[in-house]
Amino acid sequence: MDIFLQQMVNGLTIGSLYALVALGYTMVYGVMRLINFAHGDLVAFSAFIGLSVYAQIFGESVTSLIAVITVFVFTAAIVAFVGVLLERLAYRPLRTAPRLSAVVSALGAGLVIQNSIMLIWGPNMKIFPSDLFPSTIWEIGGIVITFTQVMILGLSSVLMVGLYFFIHQTKIGTAIRAVAIDQDAAKLMGINVGRIIMIIFIIGSTLGAVAGLFIGTYYRGVTFDMGWMYGLNAFVAAIMGGIGNIPGAMLGGLLLGLFNAMITGYISTQWAETFTFVLLIVILVFRPTGILGETVAEKV
Amino acid sequence: MMNKTSLIAMTLLIFMGFFPLFVDSAWLAVGTTFLVFSVVALSQDIILGRAGVFHMGHAMFFGLGAYTTAILNVHFGLPILATWAPAVLVPMLVAFILVFPIIHLRGDYLLVATIGFNIIFIQVLQNDVFGLTGGPNGLFGIDVVRVLGFDFSSQTHMYYMAFILLGITLFIMRNLDRSKFGRAMFYIHKDEIAAQSMGINVRYYKLYAFILGAGIAGAAGSMFSVQYSAVSPEAFNVTQSIMFFTIVLVGGSASLPGVLIGTFVMFVLPEMFREFETARYLVFGIAMILTMILRPRGIWPVRFGNIPSFLKKEEVK
Repeated sequence: MDIFLQQMVNGLTIGSLYALVALGYTMVYGVMRLINFAHGDLVAFSAFIGLSVYAQIFGESVTSLIAVITVFVFTAAIVAFVGVLLERLAYRPLRTAPRLSAVVSALGAGLVIQNSIMLIWGPNMKIFPSDLFPSTIWEIGGIVITFTQVMILGLSSVLMVGLYFFIHQTKIGTAIRAVAIDQDAAKLMGINVGRIIMIIFIIGSTLGAVAGLFIGTYYRGVTFDMGWMYGLNAFVAAIMGGIGNIPGAMLGGLLLGLFNAMITGYISTQWAETFTFVLLIVILVFRPTGILGETVAEKV
Repeated sequence: MMNKTSLIAMTLLIFMGFFPLFVDSAWLAVGTTFLVFSVVALSQDIILGRAGVFHMGHAMFFGLGAYTTAILNVHFGLPILATWAPAVLVPMLVAFILVFPIIHLRGDYLLVATIGFNIIFIQVLQNDVFGLTGGPNGLFGIDVVRVLGFDFSSQTHMYYMAFILLGITLFIMRNLDRSKFGRAMFYIHKDEIAAQSMGINVRYYKLYAFILGAGIAGAAGSMFSVQYSAVSPEAFNVTQSIMFFTIVLVGGSASLPGVLIGTFVMFVLPEMFREFETARYLVFGIAMILTMILRPRGIWPVRFGNIPSFLKKEEVK
C-alpha cells in the first residue's frame, strides 16, 4: 500500500509535467491541426536556458524566492520568444501547404533546436542546481513528499486552472476557441488569426518552459536530446485525452503519469514505453478520438 | 515514346549499373546503402505517398526483415537464401496484425500509433525476448549468400544484389501504378470520402498498401543484414523511421524520382559532409524547413493532375 501511495504521488508529479507539455501540443493542434514536433525540444531548450540564466544572474548558489521567480520569468520569456520565432519562420509560411509539409518542417525545427542545444551547451549531461528549491522533505504515513513535488503539483495546478479560465472567460480565450473551430469564419468576425496563433505559441511555450525547468529540478540531470522522449510522452497524453481538447490534455497527462509510475513501481522500467503505447493503442481502438474527444464528423 | 523523365531514369540506371567499376570500396558501400535505403524509402512511399496513410514507424518493418534473416541464420543455421521468404512474409504478417485494428483511425492518431509500434519493437529487441534478438548489442556473424557453392561475399556482389532488389522494387511500383490497386490508392489519396462513395473499400486498400510496403521493406532489411553481417536495434529506431518519412515528403510523395532524390539527400549527402560532423544535423533541420517552404510538395513532385498521365492517350504534338 505504501508503494502504491508513493507511486501515486510520483505519478501525479510526472503527470502534471506531461500535462503542462501536452497543453502546448493540444493548443497548437486545436488551432492549426499541426503536430508541433519541435515542442518537446523547446521544453529541453528551456531547461538549458534556465541553467544559464541561473548561472548568469546568481553565480553559484543563492536560494531565495526572488531568484527562483527571476529564473522562471526570464526563461519563460526567452522560450516564448523562441516559440513565436518558430511559428514565424517554420510554420507561418506553410499555412496553406499540404498538412504533412508542416509536419516535416516541425521535425526540421526540432532538429535545429536540439542540435543548437548540443552546440551551445555541449553533448554531455548537465546537472541542475540543487538549491533552486529548498530540500525540505515531508513524511506522511510512510510516504515521502519533497518540496519540489509540492511546488510542481501546486504551480501546475494553478497554471492549468488559470489557463482553463483564460480560455473560457476572457475575450482572447473566446477568440482562440473561435479560431480553433473555424479559421475562416473567425477571420470574417474580425479576429486577427495570425495574432491568435502567436498568442497560442506564447502560452504553449511558456507552459513548456515551466515544465522544462521543473524537469530539470525534479530529475536534476538534463541532456540535449531529452526533449524528444518527454515530448512524445506528452503528445501521447494529449492524444489519450483527445487532442485539441484542453481538459483532455490535463486528464491525459495525469493519467499517463500515474500509469507510468505504477508500471515502473510494480512491473519494470524496461518495458515502460511498451506499456504506454499499448495503453494508447487500446484507448484509440475503443475511443478513436481520445477519452474526452468529441466524435465529430471529418471535415470535408 | 520515351519522355524526359524516363530518359533521365534510364541514364541513372545505367550509371548506377556501372558505378562499381570506377569507385573505391568506401564509395561502393555508400552506393549499396543508397540502393538499400532507396528500396525502403520507396516502400514507405507506397504507404505514405500513394495510399496517403500517415505512417512514421517504417524502420520497424525494415528491422523485422533484417532480424528475421539474422535470427534464422545465426540461431537456426538456415542459409541466407532460405531466409528471404520469411524476411518478406514476417513483416507482412506483423503489419496485418498490428494495423488491421487501427487502420480506420484519423491520420495523426495513426501517426502516433505507428511511432508507438516502432518504440515497442525497439524495446522488444533491447530486452532480448526469448534470447533471440541479442539485446542492445544485436546479432553478429550473419552468413553471406551462397548459391551452389559460390559465395556472393564481396562488396561488388552486395552492390549488385541491392541493385537487383531496387530494380525489382521499381518494377513492382510501376506495375502498381498501372493496376487497379494503384488507381484505387490514387483516388483514396485524392479524396477519401469521394472514393468511398464510388464503392472503393478504403480500409482494404490502405491495409493492402501497408502490407505490401512492409514486405518490400522486409526484403531490404534482409539485404541490409547481409551487407553488414550484423544487426543492432539502433539501426531501426524511430529516428530512422522519421528519416524515411522525411525522405518521401522532402523528395516528393508518390514520385519515384522524388523519393530517390530524397534518399540521396538524406543518406548520401551526409556521407559527403562528414567534416561538419557536429553541425550537420543543424544544417539538415534548416534544409528541411527551407525545402518545405520553397517546395511544399517536395523537390520533385508528381506531375499528374486528376488523371495519371500514363492513363491518358498519347498527345499529338
